[in-house]
Amino acid sequence: MLRALSSRALSTRTGRRTVVLAAAALAGVLLIVVLATGWAGSGNSSVTTVDGSTSAVLYSAGHRPLAPEFTATTLTGSKLSLSDYRGKVVVLNFWGSWCVPCRAEAPTLAALAAKYQPSGVSFLGVDVRDTTASALAFAHIFHITYPSVSDESSAITLDFTAKVPIAGTPTTLVVDRTGHIAGAVFGTVTYSELTAILAKVTAKGG
Amino acid sequence: MTDVRAPETDPFDPAAEREDQPRPGRSSPGGAFGLADWLKWGWRQLTSMRIALILLFLLALASVPGSMLPQQGNNPSGVQQYYASHPALAPWLDRLGLFDVFAAPWFAAIYLLLFASLVGCVVPRTIRLAGSARTLPPRAPRHLTRLPRSAEYVTTLPPRDAVDVAARVLSGRGFRLRRPDDTDQGWVSAEKGYLREAGNLLFHLALLGVLVSVALGGLFGYKANRLLVQGQSFADTVSALDEFHPGRFVTAASLGPFTMTLNRFDARYITSGQQRGQPAAFDARVTYTERPGGPARTFDLDVNRPLSVDGAKVYLIGHGYAPVFTVTDARGQVVYNQPTPFVAGTSGNFLSQGVVKVPDAQPEQLGFTGVFVPTAVDVGGTLESVFPAADNPVVSLIAYAGNLGMDSGPTQSVYQLDTSGMRRLTDSPQVLQPGQTLKLPGGQGTITFTGYVPWVSLAITHDPGQLPALICGIAALGGLLLSFMIRRRRVFVRARANPAAQAGSTVQVGGLARTDASGGFEAEFATLAAELRSAHEQAAPARPAPQQAAPDRHEGE
Repeated sequence: MLRALSSRALSTRTGRRTVVLAAAALAGVLLIVVLATGWAGSGNSSVTTVDGSTSAVLYSAGHRPLAPEFTATTLTGSKLSLSDYRGKVVVLNFWGSWCVPCRAEAPTLAALAAKYQPSGVSFLGVDVRDTTASALAFAHIFHITYPSVSDESSAITLDFTAKVPIAGTPTTLVVDRTGHIAGAVFGTVTYSELTAILAKVTAKGG
Repeated sequence: MTDVRAPETDPFDPAAEREDQPRPGRSSPGGAFGLADWLKWGWRQLTSMRIALILLFLLALASVPGSMLPQQGNNPSGVQQYYASHPALAPWLDRLGLFDVFAAPWFAAIYLLLFASLVGCVVPRTIRLAGSARTLPPRAPRHLTRLPRSAEYVTTLPPRDAVDVAARVLSGRGFRLRRPDDTDQGWVSAEKGYLREAGNLLFHLALLGVLVSVALGGLFGYKANRLLVQGQSFADTVSALDEFHPGRFVTAASLGPFTMTLNRFDARYITSGQQRGQPAAFDARVTYTERPGGPARTFDLDVNRPLSVDGAKVYLIGHGYAPVFTVTDARGQVVYNQPTPFVAGTSGNFLSQGVVKVPDAQPEQLGFTGVFVPTAVDVGGTLESVFPAADNPVVSLIAYAGNLGMDSGPTQSVYQLDTSGMRRLTDSPQVLQPGQTLKLPGGQGTITFTGYVPWVSLAITHDPGQLPALICGIAALGGLLLSFMIRRRRVFVRARANPAAQAGSTVQVGGLARTDASGGFEAEFATLAAELRSAHEQAAPARPAPQQAAPDRHEGE
């Protein structure tokens, strides 16, 4: 009798221990997943947001990725390289005439180009997945006077994606005088975002 | 999930120390069935073999609609077609997540429950098996002749030596031994076949590995689609993809840097007989580079011949026609000049629909809805396509002017024209043959149908879980085979001083297989018993003949 009782107590304890162990293992797996998720989502201290917007960022000095060099054909048929702009601050806008938010931001870019080009800031478009006819018509309509290179195959975009997370058009990058990417606006650019980035990058040798 | 076969405890083995404790009753005697009991009961149900099998079956069942219905992930245009042909049913299917089965909450629920079930089974089982692998065989039962297999003979060796010899033989045969603390007691227990448990464990762990691999693929893999017109190129970057479904941990930077150009696409069709119009062969010749600036290679993509590039696989999943249009606006300026992909509808023979949007025409934006007919035949005033190849291509266009709605607001589909802000310029659809131009009324401009080029639809997938899943699958199979083929069996030897002889002893050998599904233990035991006996005979010191004539009722020479 005593033996039967103790055996039952033992069996219950073993069963409970198994359940607890299994539950603990499951909880451990879940914890790892949650931690990994949280870790992957955590930010990078070398990047600061601009103008209260999470889509506009400034890269601090020393953490600016080098802009990949490219040589491409402009919409008007001439050759152009990014290195031609070395020593100048360049606003690099990835766009397409088919892209609705690009059309929405085009007047802003035209106005900013008119404001900053006299002070030595260059503007350059990268026309993604587009055709010359449509792109030229776009530039005409929106009074875009700065040049754009054709990136029909997205090859230039691909090179830049290795440096900054370009998830589509529009994306606007600000390249500093040394050819490094100093700021970025992912998505539609606003006047105040780009003004704030340019103020930082053009200041005292930026 | 517990053992697939016989119960762990052995009804034939009176001496077996029960490793698997009998589970406590469902309701505690005299006590209420509390929350803790319910939780415990639920957990036990979840981790039971039956529930795991049901979940596995459900998982298989849940994948069925994924192969029967077009899926958002790999065939978005198929989903659109389904919407067009089943306008009442499609929204309901969508609500149930049947157009994106693998992302549906109920699919995740089955998957997670199965995962929990397996973890909840395998982890305690691993602990128990690890413990059982360390435990020694049970003590030898008193009466070995009651075991399923037994033999008895006499030897001239004293009991202690006889057991020593038996232990040596059994150990040489790969048995794990147990001797009494007091070696005078004259018995040895031996057990073999622990690999069966190891196989069982491997099977469970590998199943777990398959699930983890699939999860790995979901977290670190991606699926993407790209429509590529002949002559065009694209790079594997987010903005160059039409559809992009990244895993949880996939960022824009984790995409492979390959680039690809569609040099040409050929589709051949059966031209006669019952199967006229059915595809005979596809061939998509592409040039690709693994990374920018790398060497360019060519490859012929076919429906079942994907291209592996840079960790990703590129599949040919569809094709169609892209009529080329040139549009001039009221100023006479060319404002549109490109192939425009049209998508085949359900009516067959590649009767395709598409849209031309000219947002930068002046003074007004222009839009066209069109139908491309590869082999057109006029049937009572309507155009029908009688063959999928472009033998007599025509387009039929309706022109609109006004506001396309593209200057603000949400992103638009390139296959749909929002005519709410536009007015129709032409009353009836205008039919154009290659080279023909339609003059828009009111001097709004012109549209020319200059020709057509084919396009292909590519699915680009990256699944890092594929190889681990394969390895785990093979391991699971191996484990299952091991656990089916290997018997766990015990052999006991007892030697008692033979009362008939002064120095000899009676040796009893007993054996049982805990699971003998494949049979064969009987033969193995007979061999072993014979081997033990000859070992005893060899080890026995030479004796005078009379003493060897001890009665041997079992062997009876």
